[in-house]
Amino acid sequence: MFNSQSWQEVSPYLDRALAMPEEQREAWLVSLGGENPALADLLRSLLQEHDVLSRERFLEETPPPISAAQALTGQMIGAYALVAPLGRGGMGSVWLAARTDGRFERRAAVKFLNIAIAGLGGEERFKREGAILARLAHPHIAQLLDAGVTSSGQPYLIIEYVEGDDIVRYCDAHRLEVGARLRLFLDVLAALAHAHTNLVVHRDIKPSNVLVTVDGRVKLLDFGIAKLLAQESGSGTPTQLTRDGGGALTPLFAAPEQVTGGPVTTATDVYGCGLLLYELLTGQHPAGPGPHSPLDLVKVIVETEPPHMSETVRPAAAGAETVHARAAGRAATPDRLGRMLRGDLDTIVAKALKKNPQERYASAAAMADDLRRYLAHEPIGARPDTLAYRTAKFVRRNRTAVVLTGLAVLAIAAGIIGVLVQARTVRAQRDFAFRALGRAQAVDQFNVFLLSDAAPSGKPFTVNELLARAEHILNLQRTKNDANRVELLATIGIQYSIAEQDTQARRVLEEAYSLSKGVWEPTVRADAACNLASQLARSGEFARAESLFQEGLHELPNAPQYSIARFNCLRRGSEIAQELGNERQGIARLEEARRVLAQSPFQSDWDHMLTFLNLGEAYRMAGQNDKAIAEFEKADALISSTGRQETQSAAVILNDWALALQQLGRPLEAERLLRRSIDIHRADQTEDAVPPTVLGNYALILRMLGRLDAAADYVERSSAKARRTQDQVALYHALYTGASIYFDRHDFVRAGAALRELEPIMLHAFPPGSDWLAALASQQALLAWGTGHPEQALRLADQGVASVETEMKVKGQGDYLLPTLLLRRATILLGTGRPAQAAADASRALAVLQARAQPNAFSSYLGDAWLALGRALQSQEKAEEARAAFHAAVSHFQHTLGPDNPRTLDALQLADGELHHR
Amino acid sequence: MERSIGSLIDATERREDGASEALFEALYHELHRLAKRELVRHGFPVSISATTLLHQAYLEMAARGGTSFPDEARFMAYTARVMRGLIIDHARNRLAQKRGGRFELTAIASDIAENAVDGQELARIGEALDELAKAEPALAEVVDLKFFCGFSFAEVAAMRGISERTVQRMWQKARIYLHRSISSGLSP
Repeated sequence: MFNSQSWQEVSPYLDRALAMPEEQREAWLVSLGGENPALADLLRSLLQEHDVLSRERFLEETPPPISAAQALTGQMIGAYALVAPLGRGGMGSVWLAARTDGRFERRAAVKFLNIAIAGLGGEERFKREGAILARLAHPHIAQLLDAGVTSSGQPYLIIEYVEGDDIVRYCDAHRLEVGARLRLFLDVLAALAHAHTNLVVHRDIKPSNVLVTVDGRVKLLDFGIAKLLAQESGSGTPTQLTRDGGGALTPLFAAPEQVTGGPVTTATDVYGCGLLLYELLTGQHPAGPGPHSPLDLVKVIVETEPPHMSETVRPAAAGAETVHARAAGRAATPDRLGRMLRGDLDTIVAKALKKNPQERYASAAAMADDLRRYLAHEPIGARPDTLAYRTAKFVRRNRTAVVLTGLAVLAIAAGIIGVLVQARTVRAQRDFAFRALGRAQAVDQFNVFLLSDAAPSGKPFTVNELLARAEHILNLQRTKNDANRVELLATIGIQYSIAEQDTQARRVLEEAYSLSKGVWEPTVRADAACNLASQLARSGEFARAESLFQEGLHELPNAPQYSIARFNCLRRGSEIAQELGNERQGIARLEEARRVLAQSPFQSDWDHMLTFLNLGEAYRMAGQNDKAIAEFEKADALISSTGRQETQSAAVILNDWALALQQLGRPLEAERLLRRSIDIHRADQTEDAVPPTVLGNYALILRMLGRLDAAADYVERSSAKARRTQDQVALYHALYTGASIYFDRHDFVRAGAALRELEPIMLHAFPPGSDWLAALASQQALLAWGTGHPEQALRLADQGVASVETEMKVKGQGDYLLPTLLLRRATILLGTGRPAQAAADASRALAVLQARAQPNAFSSYLGDAWLALGRALQSQEKAEEARAAFHAAVSHFQHTLGPDNPRTLDALQLADGELHHR
Repeated sequence: MERSIGSLIDATERREDGASEALFEALYHELHRLAKRELVRHGFPVSISATTLLHQAYLEMAARGGTSFPDEARFMAYTARVMRGLIIDHARNRLAQKRGGRFELTAIASDIAENAVDGQELARIGEALDELAKAEPALAEVVDLKFFCGFSFAEVAAMRGISERTVQRMWQKARIYLHRSISSGLSP
């Protein structure tokens, strides 16, 4: 190596030497050598070296580029390490990957999809699709194990690794005869039928996607991937021609509708199966031997009826040698092969290859039925009304259905929102709006099924009628697919549950559960157990509910594809705990669900939204309203960011959020949220679509704000609608709120009427000692006092307070109600000339409220308590203390009711009045 | 909070303690990430040239860095050195694989086999360059840009604001130095 000194010395001379023309260098070196021979020698040797290096082009090659094989090998994708690239397809690159769990090694294929999923909801959609595909568990479908997006934003799928040959090559290599080929092909159809009943269309059936393993098992690859790729190009329906990012893709296996941009349905897969079978049986594509230009192919696909298979195997068709070889490859002579294909097989394939999707087999199952009949020598063509057939019909109609059913879906959704808000109040404070919401996605799919097949056309119908029909239809199905049946039963059961038809719900969910025992898919078994568990908890069978929930959880292996099922089970588990009144465990299970979701590759915004909402509800039920509000805020932000801020779900969030604020004594904020909720419900100009409970909640908030006329108006609308829809729960809420409003307006006649109607309903609905009855007693006490019956008033007020105190002692519940009852009693005590006792009650109410509130938080309830205390002190001539109390009330009212609110101004006047007194 | 590339470049120019190391780390990480992403995106069999990678890196980092991000020439001056590290590590890695450290499939054998300069030689050139950078940093930078990053003389000249002829001379001079260094390193 150079030492730096010698380089420093030689460096400027080297510059000069290299700068001068070569022929002058020697003369220059000679003259330099006269002064400094050592330097000249060094320079000479360096320049010689330079010549050699130039000749050898030293360092002129660019170093090796960075290649994928090295850069990526060993990189972890999910739980798998990349091992080696396998190849590259239209969708992107494919890698062999391995997962090592101790000594056990599991291989998988990782597909990097060549799509940009940045942008509006792209990642969300990708994961949602991934979740659907992951649920396609079938022995003849290569299982999707995981899906996700790498840290650098590249979406990938991890798929069961299948080693095998494509089905056409496999059959040819094994010289399989026609019957054997058909039996193998039936496995392809079985896999597709399974996918079709799950509303998944493959979209890209071709030999390279249908492999046969060395032990002869069929495996379908790349389910739905074509859809993932297609979606990326946005709204337009991309055809197979345009799909491959500009790269020419021969539409050899495209169906006519894929070329023309028509809707892709299960019939598209049937067409693909027709092509595949054609090639399997005849050894050639219906378009004849290639190569074809894409343009010619399009013409053939869209216009030309394919020749009958039996014609293509005649010697005249394709050269005697080829025809003989093909027949021999199928253990037949050309004549014999022609005879076998003529007739039924020609008919079956021709039907699958119809240009018009409506004229094809409606699904893979229908095609399989005919092939089986052919193999069993039965007449073909009769198609029973199978579930797969129905579902297929629906998928085909999907597009129009979405448009057509706007009205009907609204009818159902309105019904659901009605009952869900209703459900919340049935158990007084234990409401489960989220129960319904959590199932909204299932409901969507189910609506689609109901509206396509179960709905009577053109007639109005109720949810219950629809459910009965759906059940009836399901009972008629002779489907062999138990997993599918379990899921549909579950959907029906859940719908019954939402509609509060607990007996029906339980019956159907029990059936689903016992049927699920014979299904091998863990998610189906877990779902069935957990769904039933939740329903049992609703009807009070807690022990069995809990054990079913645990059973469901244990069904699920600890792998990413089960994470969403685990998430759902944990949510059910939380419902059970909450039904049981164990709020802490309810919250713990939801927090666990949240953790599972966060680690799931299939998480969606929707699931996150549900988690926020459920946790909000759970915290609210546990009296932790501040935490609840934080969750509702997140739920609202998320639902808005996904463009669903106008949906029923958003309305539910707003309603629940408003109730949490109301409980904290923040009616001003609650009013704005409920207003938004009502606006969402109000489809047109009228408020007919707004559920009575929401109207009642709004009345309650308006009353807190002192807007008594508007409050009375809304509470009347609420009770009227509750009567019209026979909604008992909404009705007693409205009557109770109405009684308070009328009392505030000194309209004792109406208040009395409301309470008289309310009393028998409550006595019937609630057991003695319940908080609702205590609330009723205190409301009656106020009325008795207002109508001049002080003794009765005090007795009732005492009764209310004592009842709540007992419940607090015995069950540890009801403390939320105590301040209200104390303040009402204080009002009566003061009105009947007992200011000291009134002050004691007000002080106690204040203490309870303060203990519960966050430090320095403002609450209208605290304002109420300070106001009551101030009045009691005023009557005791304690002017100084009274003034302080009034000022405190003003401060709370200003922040929670607004500075211009009449109640704030009243309190202000009292505070100032005290000042004038002095 | 991690510092942005732009602010690290500024800090390096102000000769803040540890800034140039942090900048190297950050750029290395970024280039590595980008390389992997590009390779995955374009599939198999594929490789990516250093020049493409650098241009891509500049576009992305500049887009993230906003208006205060240094111009492309200044950016390349810092990044070329990092690119050298990446390429050398990459070549070494391949060497390890060739020796059978990992899975070997016939499918990738051909991908590994070719390529003129092997990892060890590259590593030695890298070490010699570090030495050269102490004596004449401008020369080392030209080698990084020309040899490791694949820029042409004209491109390097434009970046440095000097004539193409000068760049060429710097390159020749550096090459002599490097060859001397690694040859003497071989024969004791």
